[in-house]
Amino acid sequence: MADARDSGLQAPLWRAIAIYRLAALAYAAFLVVSNVGAYVRPMLAWPTLALMAAWTVVTTYAYADPARRRPPLLVADLLVTIAVLTASIWVVGRSGLEAGLPTLAVAWHVAPVICWAVAGGRRGGIAAALAMGATDLIVRAHYDQAAFTGAVLMLLAAIAVGNLVRIAEVGQQRLERAIELEATTRERERLARDIHDSVLQVLALVKRRGAGLDGEAGELARLAGEQEAALRSLVAARQVSDPVADELDLMALLEPYASPVVTVSGPAGAVRLPARIAHELRAAVAAAVDNVEKHCVPGTKVYLFVEDEPDEVIVTVRDDGCGIEPDRLAQAEAQGRLGVVQSIRGRVADLGGRVRIISAPGEGTEVEMVVRRVPIS
Amino acid sequence: MSAAIRVMVVDDHPMWREGVSRDLAAAGYDVVATSGEGRQAVRIAAAARPDVVILDLQLPDVSGVEVINGLQTEVPGVRVLMLSASGEQQDVLDAMKAGATGYLLKSAGLTDFLDAVSRTAAGDTVFTPGLAGLVLGEFRRLAVTEPADPRADAPKLTERETEVLRLVAKGLSYRQIAERLVLSHRTVQNHVQNTLGKLQLHNRVELTRYALQNGLAPLGEDPAP
Repeated sequence: MADARDSGLQAPLWRAIAIYRLAALAYAAFLVVSNVGAYVRPMLAWPTLALMAAWTVVTTYAYADPARRRPPLLVADLLVTIAVLTASIWVVGRSGLEAGLPTLAVAWHVAPVICWAVAGGRRGGIAAALAMGATDLIVRAHYDQAAFTGAVLMLLAAIAVGNLVRIAEVGQQRLERAIELEATTRERERLARDIHDSVLQVLALVKRRGAGLDGEAGELARLAGEQEAALRSLVAARQVSDPVADELDLMALLEPYASPVVTVSGPAGAVRLPARIAHELRAAVAAAVDNVEKHCVPGTKVYLFVEDEPDEVIVTVRDDGCGIEPDRLAQAEAQGRLGVVQSIRGRVADLGGRVRIISAPGEGTEVEMVVRRVPIS
Repeated sequence: MSAAIRVMVVDDHPMWREGVSRDLAAAGYDVVATSGEGRQAVRIAAAARPDVVILDLQLPDVSGVEVINGLQTEVPGVRVLMLSASGEQQDVLDAMKAGATGYLLKSAGLTDFLDAVSRTAAGDTVFTPGLAGLVLGEFRRLAVTEPADPRADAPKLTERETEVLRLVAKGLSYRQIAERLVLSHRTVQNHVQNTLGKLQLHNRVELTRYALQNGLAPLGEDPAP
């Protein structure tokens, strides 16, 4: 059911229904005036018409308030209209209706059906259309094609309006989300600018001035450097996901690893990969970086390098640590002792890619992961 | 050592500007001017005629590319070492294509910084691993996006140049690269410099073509200064 706030589309829609009801009332009044001579109880036609006019005014005001568009009003609307329609049996008379005279509520009786469709969607519209259509058929006691066509048209209109409202609501929600997102992005950019102009500069300066100092001052400089790098990657963070396809930007996933000891390099633009591949590569890179931190002396530099080839993506993790003797590497791997290397190889192999490890004593270790853009399944 | 080298510092952060100037003076450089704005920097440079400009990539008034273009017009042959605090990759790449000769993160240590300044002054290109990654990425992008246009003849790297750039991007020093590829240190430096030269040339050709196509500088006439 409609919620209590007026979304952008709802207000004009309810206004349109009010105008329809008013126009239909005028048409019904015109028909009453021209046919009143043929009615069985013409004196009752005027109070009925007055009731219709009053109800038109009541609903116009009631539906204008979002808080009142609730089941009680909708049910009342349907019942009042059905009552007016049914009154035709006594006012117009059985024989008149059978002879083809219109009901008192002709056209006017469609308004509540549309209201139900707007407030309750397709299902609400169909329910109201069936109730109203059945009443109309019974009152007119006409079971020919024209009568059925009227009922079917009403049903179709209810379905169409119900659908339209749902689509419009979804569109409205998307628009609101987009506006919200844009506002956050703009706010983020403003923050990034401010941080760039102030905090980052000072932290970089502190790091630089204190870099050569011993003891606490040197420690402070080192901390400032770490914070500078963390903050920089935070404010420069790219948008990770691609809203259109199920793809992620690998650069955006890897940039958070940048720190005073970890350098991230690659193309300026996004490196798009299917989400699964991107996450697996990120995990493999994380394992490699952790491994350096665990096994090499503190402060060992790590370089992450991403290459975006037309049909494959190459990610290299190199450290300038102590390195490993080639035969020891093979030996350790053969004995299954290189847990991290195994896990990296496993992850990349699952993606149909390959891993190359180059290491020499004093030369550091280089782990090169090559993954095809489209995985071999 | 290099007492005669004239340096200008352009940065909108006063504290940083002073700190850098002090470090440069202590290292024997002649700091001839400082500025906190791009347009003003170009005007001052025309009079101060520095050999090297230390330029912050993000200035409040104009883009890094505009400052570099202005500096090159006013002081032909000036060398620009860019510094940036945030890793705005596209901005860095654009500035390098416009003619900057070196790039360093602001968080680099003092020794790295002074080393970069002396190399820039000596006419060498200063590449960080990050910049090498950007340049390689740009060549690959050009190869993918422009082969359809026969006139564009996208610049290409030789195999050797690609090899050298990849090693720079992986954090190897020129000395380590020279050892690994059995080249001289100078040759490695030349390869790196050539890659940037190709990119800058391509950029100028593109700009000229754009200007001609749009009637900004008719053939046979000198473009207005």
